[in-house]
Amino acid sequence: MPEPTGDGLAVTDTAAPATEDPRADDDLAPPDELPVTASEAAREESSGGFTALVIAGLVFIVAGWLLPWFVEQTSNGIGYSAQDAVSSPPTGIGTIVVYLIAVAMVGLVAFALYDLVRGIAHRGRPLRWWRGRAALAILGAVGTLVVWLLIGVLREEPLFGNISSLAATDNAVWMTLTGFVVLALAYGLRPWVVTHGEVAFGGVVFMIGALMPFIFNQSSSFIEWGASAAAIYTLLALGLNIVVGFAGLLDLGYAAFFAIGAYTCGSLASPVHGLHFPFWIVIFIGLAVAALFGAVLGAPTLRLRGDYLAIVTLGFGEIIPDAANNNLFNATGGPEGITGIDHPSIFGFNFGIDAKFYFWSLLIIIAIVLVLLRNIQRSRLGRAWAAIREDEVAAAATGVNPVTTKLLAFSIGASISGLAGAFFGAELGSVTPDSFQFAVSVTVLSTVVLGGLGNNTGVAAGGILVSFIIFWMLDHLQEWMGTFGLKFGLPALGTIDYSRWVYIVYGAILVGIMLLRPAGLLPSRARKSELQAGGQTEALAVVQGRV
Amino acid sequence: MTVTAPASPMEPVEAARPPILQLDRVTKRFGGLLAVNSVSFAVAPGEIVSMIGPNGAGKTTAFNMVTGLYPTTAGAILFNGQSVVGLPPHRIAKLGITRTFQNIRLFSFVTALDNVMVGEHCKMHENIFQSMFKTPHSRREERDVELRALASLREFGLERYADSYARNLPYGLQRRLEIARALASGPSLLLLDEPAAGLNSQEKVELMQIISDLRAKGLTIFLIEHDMRVVMEISDRIVVLDHGELIAQGLPVEVRNNPRVIEAYLGSGAAAQAERGPQATA
Repeated sequence: MPEPTGDGLAVTDTAAPATEDPRADDDLAPPDELPVTASEAAREESSGGFTALVIAGLVFIVAGWLLPWFVEQTSNGIGYSAQDAVSSPPTGIGTIVVYLIAVAMVGLVAFALYDLVRGIAHRGRPLRWWRGRAALAILGAVGTLVVWLLIGVLREEPLFGNISSLAATDNAVWMTLTGFVVLALAYGLRPWVVTHGEVAFGGVVFMIGALMPFIFNQSSSFIEWGASAAAIYTLLALGLNIVVGFAGLLDLGYAAFFAIGAYTCGSLASPVHGLHFPFWIVIFIGLAVAALFGAVLGAPTLRLRGDYLAIVTLGFGEIIPDAANNNLFNATGGPEGITGIDHPSIFGFNFGIDAKFYFWSLLIIIAIVLVLLRNIQRSRLGRAWAAIREDEVAAAATGVNPVTTKLLAFSIGASISGLAGAFFGAELGSVTPDSFQFAVSVTVLSTVVLGGLGNNTGVAAGGILVSFIIFWMLDHLQEWMGTFGLKFGLPALGTIDYSRWVYIVYGAILVGIMLLRPAGLLPSRARKSELQAGGQTEALAVVQGRV
Repeated sequence: MTVTAPASPMEPVEAARPPILQLDRVTKRFGGLLAVNSVSFAVAPGEIVSMIGPNGAGKTTAFNMVTGLYPTTAGAILFNGQSVVGLPPHRIAKLGITRTFQNIRLFSFVTALDNVMVGEHCKMHENIFQSMFKTPHSRREERDVELRALASLREFGLERYADSYARNLPYGLQRRLEIARALASGPSLLLLDEPAAGLNSQEKVELMQIISDLRAKGLTIFLIEHDMRVVMEISDRIVVLDHGELIAQGLPVEVRNNPRVIEAYLGSGAAAQAERGPQATA
């Protein structure tokens, strides 16, 4: 008897396009919109990574160039103005050098912009002369340093004449330098970057992140925001993304686990109970306790889906801060919360209240969490989550245990929140119930959706963006609009009381982003094609004869 | 021929072999509706058995009870002599019964490759910590599963769609992918719920080839189908349900000429005519 092979089953080349044809004919889904093969998808993603790096480099260079101007505009009289440049034109031998360097810099930026436009037009085409561009970038970086040294030695800005204060110059130099280094890396390692776009982009993001305290060493509010809002929110969003984005379970009470982590930390490392566990053990206990509570919440919700599940999680999210507020079991200190929590220390060095060290620690933790989540997402469990999200019945009939799969999603999601909570408590030195209200759950959820449901990179970007808007932009809205109004002849802008407007502005920004990017800032591949397909599903079903 | 060679389709089914699947007075009641009423029959190993009947006869309900998606109201379901009543669906899948669905239920926004890899979920051993830290064991298992899934896609002519989302596959290939997914866990009994629905005649021929190839590998196949050409051509035996009751079972020829079956499908007039002269209707 002949061995049955694939020959009898193999698709003939004419069969597949024939069934696809109706879609193309009716303009329902242009087939080339979606990558068909693995290599195609990989190329697209990698070229995306390279593009992202070039954009990041350019943003930093341009931001560095504009920073002194911006500082001058916003804080009266610091920095230099265009008038200085006209009144005292550059002189001397150093100036020629500087001009040459400036030409190289501008040239590189022009090349990079050209590459971007070209890259968008001709995706995946090979790029020649990338070594030359890398050399220009290195020259740009060296040039930036030379200009900086000239400023330092001559106390004057060789290109634009005298400067009245050096306040923002260091920051500007750091930014420009970072931008050139990123471009040098992107172009210099292009063959590698193209095949490892995701890793390269991640590496550069963390490099820039780690340099942030230096880049913004003259702005203490920046690093405080970075440590206490951006990093914590990013971590929370990554955790919630497991539950909502990977497993498709809507969770409206996520702040509860954040609270559990923070209170665990407060109980184990403060004078309240006389316990002083080392912080690096406490965060793991906080993580474990939150994971346990995740499973406890998950258990009664296993039979629920969608809206019904959301209501139960909402209830849980209300119970936890309320229990803390009412000082249940005399463990939480009531409305005043727990104070005097130990600050972490490492090798005898105490972090104290210096936000830098928390920021760096959180960066490392976020990096570890991202790598571990990536591993899980591409494993047996990650596939099971996707299966449950797409079709729970089919998943169960295929052999996926929905109970353990869902409980693991809740638990792992909660554990990351608990970790963030423990950090939050130790950094602030105190925890109070009002830090964990419903608004926190909603903010984290909107971060996840806005960043890109199911995509860790997008969710992390969402965490940074949303915390920037809430904790920085809205805080400075009055000041910014005031200066903006004065500079551009619209003084009326400065007379509005923006404190009444902040959440209207916030809401409008969220609505605007979601209208412009309906699948989030950086959508996951699944989400993107789901939205592309969304409107076409019914028509497609008709075409395919499925109705 | 080697000793381990699979049962050839030419060999007659031994009556003495214990059935792989046995339904004993299985009943399902939805409120006042008796969807399946005391149905008993058996499927022998290596057989292709078709279940037919008009719409609403309770065929899919019976499938759902066998795979654990619905609890039974009464009766026993034995798989290899072991009761599967009350077991959750994933346990039944692990025991060796997998299925496809009448309205294709693939994981839409999951790649075709991952769809098949999910099928092996219940046979895999890596735990969460192993996946998290990508231990050598986990890497090896992942690679093996991926290779097997790719081989399966190739066998079904789906390899060029490995990285496409299941929902972007043409309809006929989605049906095949669903079979590939169901086969990934290495079941001994495969349940196909209307596998030919929506396929064109060429695809139906290919489907029948797939089914007989699977049987040649030793798989038992139990399917629901409305397309009589497919049913008559591939089935060893046919069971007929109407209004939740088993009205006939037997060889395709027997069932084709059974007056009760003709009545159920065509009404009593046709049945009377068939009784007068079965050849006239054939």
